[in-house]
Order: sequence, then structure tokens, then C-alpha cells
Amino acid sequence: MGLETENKDIETNLREVAKGLLKDKKVDVIIGYMEGTLPMLSQPIIIDSEEDVDKLIWNNLCYVNLAKYLVPRVPKFVDSEKGNLKVGVVSKGCVGRALIHLASENKIKLDEIKIIGIPCNGVVNRQRIEMEIGEKEILEVSVSGNNVIVKGKDFEKEFPFDEYMNDLCKTCKIRKPPLVSKSPDLCVGECEEYSNIVDDFSDIAEFEALTPEEKWNQITEELSVCTRCYACREACPMCYCNLCFVDQNKPVWFGKTTDLPDVFVYHLIRAMHMAGRCVACGACSLVCPMGIDLNKINRKLEKIVKERFDFTSGLDPDVLPPMVDFKMEDAQEFMLEED
Amino acid sequence: MTEEVVESKQDGSKKWEPKIIAFLCNWCSYAGADLAGVSRIQYPPNIRIVRVPCSGRINAYFIIKSLTDGWDGVLISGCHPGDCHYISGNLVARRRFAILKELLEFFGIEPGRVNFMWASAAEGERFAVLVRKATEIVKKLGPNTKFEKKW
Amino acid sequence: MDEKIFAKKDIGKLLEELVPEYKFYSPTKIKGNIAFKEITDVKEIELDYLNSKVPPKDVLFPQKEIIFEYRYEGKDVIIEERKDLEDKILIFGVRPCDAYSFKLLEDFFASGDFQDDIFLKKRENATIIGLGCNSPRQSCFCTSVGGHPFQKESTDVFLSDLGDTYLVEAISEKGENLLKKLSWLADAKKADIEKSKELAKQAEESITTKFDFDLVTKVLDENFEHPVWQEISESCIGCSSCTFLCPTCTCFDVLDENDEYNNRGRRIRIWDTCQSCLYTLETSGHNPRPAKIQRCRNRIMHKFSYYPSNYDCLGCVGCGRCITACPVNNELRLIIDKILEIQEKNGEKVSA
Repeated sequence: MGLETENKDIETNLREVAKGLLKDKKVDVIIGYMEGTLPMLSQPIIIDSEEDVDKLIWNNLCYVNLAKYLVPRVPKFVDSEKGNLKVGVVSKGCVGRALIHLASENKIKLDEIKIIGIPCNGVVNRQRIEMEIGEKEILEVSVSGNNVIVKGKDFEKEFPFDEYMNDLCKTCKIRKPPLVSKSPDLCVGECEEYSNIVDDFSDIAEFEALTPEEKWNQITEELSVCTRCYACREACPMCYCNLCFVDQNKPVWFGKTTDLPDVFVYHLIRAMHMAGRCVACGACSLVCPMGIDLNKINRKLEKIVKERFDFTSGLDPDVLPPMVDFKMEDAQEFMLEED
Repeated sequence: MTEEVVESKQDGSKKWEPKIIAFLCNWCSYAGADLAGVSRIQYPPNIRIVRVPCSGRINAYFIIKSLTDGWDGVLISGCHPGDCHYISGNLVARRRFAILKELLEFFGIEPGRVNFMWASAAEGERFAVLVRKATEIVKKLGPNTKFEKKW
Repeated sequence: MDEKIFAKKDIGKLLEELVPEYKFYSPTKIKGNIAFKEITDVKEIELDYLNSKVPPKDVLFPQKEIIFEYRYEGKDVIIEERKDLEDKILIFGVRPCDAYSFKLLEDFFASGDFQDDIFLKKRENATIIGLGCNSPRQSCFCTSVGGHPFQKESTDVFLSDLGDTYLVEAISEKGENLLKKLSWLADAKKADIEKSKELAKQAEESITTKFDFDLVTKVLDENFEHPVWQEISESCIGCSSCTFLCPTCTCFDVLDENDEYNNRGRRIRIWDTCQSCLYTLETSGHNPRPAKIQRCRNRIMHKFSYYPSNYDCLGCVGCGRCITACPVNNELRLIIDKILEIQEKNGEKVSA
């Protein structure tokens, strides 16, 4: 089944479910994606009536993690008469995971949202395609068969989707939002129960086998163009702190400049804060205006918590995230010991 | 950070010595270090001790800031699991250390710059042995120049 | 006008002749993005490009800039001012929109009682070699803000890309002096000048986005509290990509860096963004713009309402970088459409 048909099916089912929810007044508003004004982009849209349901789309350009619109620090969906509105969120697997994880951190209430699950088939790695097209304007993007077709004024190029999708999508095992047994009404549309996720993390094995010097060189080279705009932080649903550690000035922990040590430390500490919380949606890399690829780092974070604590974020709102929990039997092979 | 170059008393040769910052928990490790001193057990003078109430007080920021300030090595020591004065501080810390150690290695910082250990108040000899071990590891890695800024 | 011509393959000759006197900045490819960096090797110059990711304001007003350095010597504190502000800079290949942005930056840094010497001295010592746009993007709208893909006024020397050659015109006195030095340049033929005019016409016609910004300013001035701002700011995530890639954004933060171990320190400034929730946070704890809607509105008002009031010109050069950079596609053209709709709803006809 080609991408075109897949996307069409997902769109049709999604619109039907959305229509039903609005009609039965199960939700007040629905957040989803709509067609962008430029090729390679989609827009988030908030609809509140059945007539607008046909604006909702699904294509492989839906990058933004919609869970961001529900975190604290972002205005809540509040109506002066109704109070907190009930929100339906069009959810790929990672968006559903983000919502459930935020619920486990007590940042959103699951009974105020509805997860409209869709069976995500991946998003395009827009930066990689733009880089390969180079300095020519992209005027049209479409999918056909298993290829992404990119057209410009005097060029047309085909990219195999399996190769040119976002790296995190390639290894994604949770394509539909997880079902939450405690809240059977939470998920509508296509959702799935995940009991035993097997992941060998072979995609980062090659990088992990490098020497520290090589790792340092590769990572600093990737981060060298960072302009400290913090788009990665703002796009991430898990970054909702009122005062981010880089902005702290009592005391000033780390520099805010674009010097390499400061940039390196910002990404290192942000990764540390994401341990056990990152849902591998890839939004951080896809919104970066300079095209920095943080996918390997996110995969490593998933690997650490899976192998050490058998934890996958965003599956169960009642399970404590690993960084706020501890067990007597935790592995401590890294501790210094007498010979 | 100023380079520590030590002149040997035996033959006058100059050698670089690593500077290691050691965060010791007040109730076990700091007392253990004290016991080592009182018992006249020799251990390398490369460590500079910072006393914290519990290893659970250690924030990743302390460790990373030490590295960016130019310290060649960081050593964190707490009570053995199960013996924490605050019951579970070191258990919370242990998870943090695990993640930090793996992430630091992934980002290309030499494993061995940051070390963690448990030492109780009665283990003066153990404290000295492990500090000696940590110093040897850091000495082999050489000075920490990765975070130097151009002035 | 004595127009000259030189072949693209002779760019190395140009570089060789100018490098001893100037710091030569030109577009180059860094990790897939075009950026304006100092070049010493002709192989690094990238001549086939649309526009840079980060605007060339980065050359004169960089992301991180040292204001001064200080060190302790005994009990004395010695302050070292910048010594490189008198260095001559040459920026090659600046598009007309970015060249015009330098004028807007100058207006900003020179206004009021306190002039920003660091920027102004560098600007004085900078020579801008502009390059006309043969293929403006869908997101470009320089013609709506008083610009043009072949606008020459804000440059010192203007180049037109004729295929294998560049047509060279001196625009300012600085440019004339520069061309006098490059005596090896051949004279242009009439056909070359005609071709350049033809390219300029084609480029202008290919720009599809057109707005009447005088009307936009008028509508903005009258509708500060309009509910349309709620709709406009709904999908914004405050990522600040728009402000970081804007050629006219000037906000910066000043920090002190201390190197206690070596008894020295420095004061630096880095780019800041009005889209950050901390931007207007005061020491008292009060924040005049705590909500996203206020920050979104502020950016639009600044470019299209406050700039006309304070500097008598629009604060936007129509480069379209914010449009292509916005990750949620909350782009400027949609915002302007929504603003102009207010007027339409009030019964007046608008052209957009």
C-alpha cells in the first residue's frame, strides 16, 4: 500500500472520529494539523465545529508535537463560561506518549483530554531533504508509492521514504498512542496496547563503539552551528520549567554564548533532564533553524532507561518515571571499587 | 584553571598533577576521609574536598560545572546503599550517577574523569585506596582542556 | 556610469587583491546552510545560493560580541577596549533586502543620546558588495516594503548575476574608490547592462506576495486590543526562530563572564529575543508581557507600527526568513491577512 493511500485512509478515519466527538460534545475543541502555506510545512489548527473537520489533514509533514499546547506555561484552553475546555488531540504515537507522560508528572489531567489516535507512518526529515536539494527553492512536495517527490522550478527529485524519514521514526516501536487501562475512555480512534517492547538499539551501536575522542569530535561538529535560539526547548512538550537552568542567574551555572563549551553543556544538561521523559518525537531536531540533528542523543536516552530500569516513557500514567524512583537493587557496576 | 606543576623533591623534575574536586557526604565519606587522616594513612593530595550533607545533594550541575571550570577530575563519595543517614538519599543519587556517567561517555568525555564511590565512616583505608585509584585513572587521562574558552 | 564586468571564475583574483586590506566575508556552506563567514581560501566561496540562513547582520552585529575585557593586576583593574573596530571589512554577495537592513540597524544603533560605537565603527569601516536576486523566493516580499530584488541604494558596489559573469556598478563613493583599485576589471558592454535590466524586471514580476503596508500600519495602530491577536498567537510556540533569523532584530542581553582562576573577565552581549517569556521580566517579579499573545503582538507591532512611528520607515525588509523558519507555519503573510481582514470586516475594501 503506497503512502498516498495510507495517508488518505488515516485522514478519512481521523475526520470521522473528530466529527463524532464534536457532534456528541465529547470535546469542546480539537487540535490537529492542517495544510501549510509552504511545501515541507504543516500548521497546527484548533477547530471547534463539525464544519471545520475537513481542514484536519495527515501527511508526513506533521512535525510539531501537539502535546506542547497543553503544558503549563502555555495558555490553557479556558473559556470564560465553561471553565477548562475539553480538548481532543490528534495524536501520533509520540504525541499520545507525551500526553500520558505529562499526566504521570501531574501536569495535565487525563479526564480533560481525549487522545484521537492515528497510526502514524513517520514524518519526513525535512532538513535532510532541503540540504540535498541545496540552494534551489522547493515549490511542491507530494508522496507516491513509497517515495517523497520534491519539485522546483526546474528540477524534480524522488526520495525513498524509508531512507529519508526522520531517524527517530525509523526505529519507532510505538506508532499509535498507547491505551491506558485505567482510563478506557481516554483513547479514541486508533490506539494500541503495548506490553513488551523489544528494541535492540542497533542504530546507535556504531556510534557507541567509537573512541571518546571521535564521539567528542562528531558531537561538537554537529552542535557547532547552534545559535542558542532555544527552539528545541520551546518545541519540546517536556520542557515546561518556569525558569530554565540556562536562564538561572542566582547562581549562573553555564554560559549563554555560542562558544563551543557553552553550547555543548547546554545540550548535555538538557539531555540529562530528558532522561526517562523524552518520547522520541523528533520535534527538537525538526524545528531547529540550523538543522542540528539530536536524534542519536534521544535514542541513547531511551536506551539508558530501557536497559537500566526497564522503563519506556509515556505508556502508563501511574508508573513513576525512573528519575523520581529508586530501588535497592539498582545496578551499580560503574561505581569505583577496590581491586 | 591554573596548571598544577609539582617539582619533585628527589630529582627536581617537573610533573603535571591532576586537580580533582571531591564531593564527600558529611556523615560517611567525609568522616572516612577524616579517619584516614587521623590514622596517618597516606593518600594523594590531588583531591580538594567539598563537604555536602548527602550524596543525594549532588546535582549534575556541580559535576558539569567542575569540568567546565577546568577541574581534571570529579570524585563523588557517599554512604553505602542502605546506610544513608537520610535513608534514601544515596539511592536517589545512584540513579542520577548512572545516567550521568552513561551520557558523559556518549558525549565523548573520557570515562574516568568523573568517578563515584561508596565509603563509610569506618573505612579510612578503603577511602585512601579508592582515592589513589581515582587519581591514577585521571592522571592517565591528562589535563582537561576540552572546555577551555578562547580569550 | 562606468559599469564593469568580471567573470565568476576570476573571483579568486578579487579575493587575492582585497584580502590584504580587508577582512573578506562571503557566503560559504557550513553544514548544509549558507552563512557569511570570513574567507581566505577561494574554494570556500559559494556563489550559487538563494540567501543565507542567518542574515549578514551577523558580520557586524554577531550573536556573541565582546564589549570589553578586564583583568586584575595586583590591586588594579585594567580594562581593555576592543582594538579591532578599525579593521576594514568587506561583505560580498549581500542581497538587497539584507543590504537595506544595515540602514535600519544603523538607524537603531545611532539613535538617541547614546550611540553604539561598536556597531557604528564597524559599519563605517564596512564595504557592502550587493548582489541582485535573479530568482526571488515565494516567501520574498521586498517590493511591498519599499525594496526591490535589484535595489542598489544601500550597497557600495552592486553586482548583477549575468550567468558566467557579474556586471559591476559603483553606487557610493566607497564603492567608486574600491573599483578604482581593481583596475583589471573590463568595461561592460551595452548588452550586459540591458541583460541586467531585463533580469531586474523579471525578478520583480516573479514576486507574488504583495501587501499595502501603509494600510497595515494604520490598522495596527487602531487595533491593539482586537480579539484577532488571540487567533494570530494561538499556534505560536515561542521558539524565537523568527527573531534569531531576522535581519532587523536588534535585541541583546549583556552578560559578564568571570574567569576567577586567571584573574580576568569580560563583558559580552548575545542576541536576545522578545519572544522569550523572560524578556520583559523585571527584578521586582513583575512582567509586562507574561502571556504569549502579548509577545506575538509585540513583534508585529514593533516591525510595522512602532518602527514607522519612531524611524519613519518600516522595520521589515521583506526577506521572508521568518516565514520559512517558523516550525508551526504561523507565517507573517497569514498574520497580515488576518490583520487586514479587520479592515474588511469594517466595510472598507482592501487589496492583499
